Amino acid sequence: MSGRIGFNLLQVLVVMAFAPLVSGVTSRLKEMVQSKRGPSVFQPYRDLWKLFHKDEIVSHDSSWIFRFTPYIVFIAPVFVALLIPVLTSYPLFFAFMGDMLGAGFVLALAGFFAALAAVDTANPYGPMGASRTRMVGFLAEPVFMIVFFTVSFVAGSTIPYIVQQKWVTPAANFFAPSHVLLLLAFILLILAEGGRIPVDNPTGHFELAMIDESKSLEYSGQGFALIKWGGQMKFFVLLCVFLNVLLIPWGLAQRQDLAAVLLAVPLVLLKVFCFVLVLVVIESSLAKLRLFRIVEFLGAAFVTSVAAMIAQVFAA
Amino acid sequence: MNLIAVLLPPLIAAALTGIPSKKSWWAPGVSVLSCLVVLLLAGRMAWRIALGSSLTAALGAGWSNWVAIDGLSALILLLIALVASTAAVYSVGYMAHGQLTQGKLRLYHVNYNLFIFSMLAIPLLAEPTLVWIVVELTTLCSALLVSFENTREALEAAWKYVVLSLMGAGFALFGFLVLFAAMHATGSGPYTWSALLAAAPTMPPLLTQTAFLVILIGLGTKVGLVPMHTWLPDAHSQAPSPVCALLSGIETTSILYVILRLFPVMQRVPGAHAQIWALVLGLISVGTAAFLLLQVTDYKRLLAFSTVEHMGIILTAVGLGASAHYGAVQQIVSHSVTKSFCFFAAGATLLGVGTRQISAVRGLIRRAPIAGAALLLGGLAITGAPPLAVFLSEFAILRAGLVQSQYLVSGLLALFIVIAFFGVMVHVNRMVFGTAQANQAQEDPPHEVEAPRFRLPFSCTLALIVAAVPVIVLGLYIPAPLQELLKQAAAALGR
Amino acid sequence: MSATTRQLVENLNALATGLFLLTAFGIVGTRQARGCLQLFIAQSLLLAASAGLLGLQFHSQHLYGVMLVNLITKPVIVPWLLRRTAPVEIYTRREIDQVLNIPTALSIALALAIGAYFLGVPLTQALPPEYHGPNVPIGIAGLFLGALTLTVRREALPLLLGLLAMENGAFLAGISIARDLTMLVELAIATDGLIIVFIVGVLVRAVEQHVGTTAVGALASLKEAAPHAEREVTP
Repeated sequence: MSGRIGFNLLQVLVVMAFAPLVSGVTSRLKEMVQSKRGPSVFQPYRDLWKLFHKDEIVSHDSSWIFRFTPYIVFIAPVFVALLIPVLTSYPLFFAFMGDMLGAGFVLALAGFFAALAAVDTANPYGPMGASRTRMVGFLAEPVFMIVFFTVSFVAGSTIPYIVQQKWVTPAANFFAPSHVLLLLAFILLILAEGGRIPVDNPTGHFELAMIDESKSLEYSGQGFALIKWGGQMKFFVLLCVFLNVLLIPWGLAQRQDLAAVLLAVPLVLLKVFCFVLVLVVIESSLAKLRLFRIVEFLGAAFVTSVAAMIAQVFAA
Repeated sequence: MNLIAVLLPPLIAAALTGIPSKKSWWAPGVSVLSCLVVLLLAGRMAWRIALGSSLTAALGAGWSNWVAIDGLSALILLLIALVASTAAVYSVGYMAHGQLTQGKLRLYHVNYNLFIFSMLAIPLLAEPTLVWIVVELTTLCSALLVSFENTREALEAAWKYVVLSLMGAGFALFGFLVLFAAMHATGSGPYTWSALLAAAPTMPPLLTQTAFLVILIGLGTKVGLVPMHTWLPDAHSQAPSPVCALLSGIETTSILYVILRLFPVMQRVPGAHAQIWALVLGLISVGTAAFLLLQVTDYKRLLAFSTVEHMGIILTAVGLGASAHYGAVQQIVSHSVTKSFCFFAAGATLLGVGTRQISAVRGLIRRAPIAGAALLLGGLAITGAPPLAVFLSEFAILRAGLVQSQYLVSGLLALFIVIAFFGVMVHVNRMVFGTAQANQAQEDPPHEVEAPRFRLPFSCTLALIVAAVPVIVLGLYIPAPLQELLKQAAAALGR
Repeated sequence: MSATTRQLVENLNALATGLFLLTAFGIVGTRQARGCLQLFIAQSLLLAASAGLLGLQFHSQHLYGVMLVNLITKPVIVPWLLRRTAPVEIYTRREIDQVLNIPTALSIALALAIGAYFLGVPLTQALPPEYHGPNVPIGIAGLFLGALTLTVRREALPLLLGLLAMENGAFLAGISIARDLTMLVELAIATDGLIIVFIVGVLVRAVEQHVGTTAVGALASLKEAAPHAEREVTP
């Protein structure tokens, strides 16, 4: 049992440690695809280090929400990392504390506070970004729900470890239509929730076009570092859910000893980087959608997920 | 093989009329000739069927899975041939009046012959999916005919016609495939109308009922049943008048024939309520058409709504049961000959007056006497005035309904027919006899008083006279062979 | 054929039909006419794939024939015919304003797809067990979604593709329940599809020339009540 708590904490440490690396690899790959050199893959670490050593400036007109939000945004993905399969294929100590819906709600809580904090300052771009993020968020919620419902319907449970064992591990189910359609829907969801092109430009500097970035415009120093890190961890956690539960559940530690778990770390990172490559290709080949067309984008994701649900629930 | 012979002349004519020629009589002449040959062959076939010989044995052995003929199909074939011939004669004069280029005239005649070919194939083919293909062909071959004048309205009408018809045909394809599956679920064999009839009691009822409903709605779109009729007034009024005669007179009838082929099959399926569907849909069509008739402003649209009404009457008659089937078949015949005559008259009016608006046409009898007389006769005939053909058939249907104690149905039918009578005759009366009112003189310039008398082309007059003959004769006396044919057709509708 | 291969073939067929459903949704909701055409070609390829897989499963020559016919006519000949008969402008059109906005149209499409499942599953249950499969419900859904496309789109090319998509849907249902239809019939249906494209192309070109727009679904001037001034009609 102590081993399991230990593995759980190891899982959290892995998420915390490697999330900036994933972000760095993404930016580097994107630049390379565009025939540029790009920053080093370890640049996000240096950025976090720099930010932790800078002064923080907080507006007089902001309230306790503004001060607390960076911690909430940081802790939420840590909680979620306790619940989902990152390294192991068997449930760990905290695995039954919350299921996929619970993980979704925790992440939504962080998003809620981030939006509130953006409104808290008097910066005009903050509320604009907050309202846009909320629009994307509430349109993405039904897709999440339907995806989780469909996979739970098959597995008979909403705990991600159990779903992972029942969903794709019988390899014949890989080509089942509901599986493929769910993958498509979830990829669209990752693009929306992670703030990637075609929904939002993560590297843009034009405030009027920002969706996610403008929520953190007012932050500086330690708060900004926590928010950045939290955002990177949220993306990593989403990727883990997608890859380890839905797409490729193989490569996770089967045995219960430390060596197997440590071996799972590079395998998971390999899976993540392969998917990041796919993501970079998608991002580099599409253009950013206009704001009102994000509704159509998420509508398409919704339709795909419901088609998957129909194919699973009603089919013979 | 000699059943297929009736299909050859239109195909050959379509090829021949496509050849560019210096003589202006080439394309119309070839069309008329091929239609007369078809009329001869179809008449001979109908004669032999009426005399009792079955023509299926005249083919080679394997062909009876594809081509077969019985009383009902022979009747429809004869009607198609008759209306096609008169319309071909009519279009000689009508098209010449428009001063078209040779290329446009060739296009008209090629499409005309292809359209006739596709319609002739419908009663001859015995395999339902092939029938479906030919039904689609009728839509496609007539699409360019409907849009022939290339005005904005004609193109819109053609577009609506194509889209709605093909949409209905898509549903009907699914219905025919389900019917095939139902038939082969419990046995195997060639997929023909007669084999369907034989296999009907053993087919899974859910499949057969679903297929029937889907085909009724899908092909009902092409027949013009309400609420799928929205394309019909547009397409049947914007086309050139001989094409309108073909469309209203025989095309909707041929598609209705395909639907009617399913009724004896459904009678043998336990628990199917095909007759109730036919009654309800038919009555709705008659009623809606009768009320919509009252507010038209275009006399060709008036006649088109009358087509919807008559299709509804035929369907209601089929739904009334076996005693009304003779009336239904009689109504098919009388409607075809009468409606084509009406459209010839409408075309003559259009040639004389130049506009389709009812309000702009007054005193036709003074200006274009032949057109006026024809319009009057046509209006009376199509709404069921005695002693013309439609009156006899509607009377037979109503009587059969009363005999079966279906008082509500017969009462509603009679009511709608009377409403349609008033709706049509008010307009026709004003058009033929009326004088221009003061307020109407401001909308459109009066056409009747100062303009000289108008002379119809000779071929149009000839076609009008030839087409009027059955309208009048069939109201007084039905020749014995025709009676025999009608009886056989009614028997084919339901056992 | 071993049980696992059979299972794999069935799963692949289910995948092909699932993606078919997705393309049907796409045809309803894509703005660009060219995107619609690409989705239609993908749909025809998926239909051919399903036909081939069913032919493998039931050892039926007819279905291989259907697969070949579909592979040749729809992805290849239909675009070629469109280029020949209809103006090139058709390819670059996109819907500026729709009858219904896209999320509403997609939601209606979803409701229709669910309705198609409720209709299709009892139909397959009424047949002997070897006819069961996802083809019939998804074929009916394709039929309904094609009809929905005809209702909500205004541009000429998506309307035409909606018609052809309806036939694709009916055919997808048909290949699993009407397997023994002779090749003549299938060839005739395929040719019929080509004739549709030809005629509609000619019609659209005429509309473009005389009316000046390819948004044919927006033509609505023929009505009862308005006695518009009639031009001098040339018979």
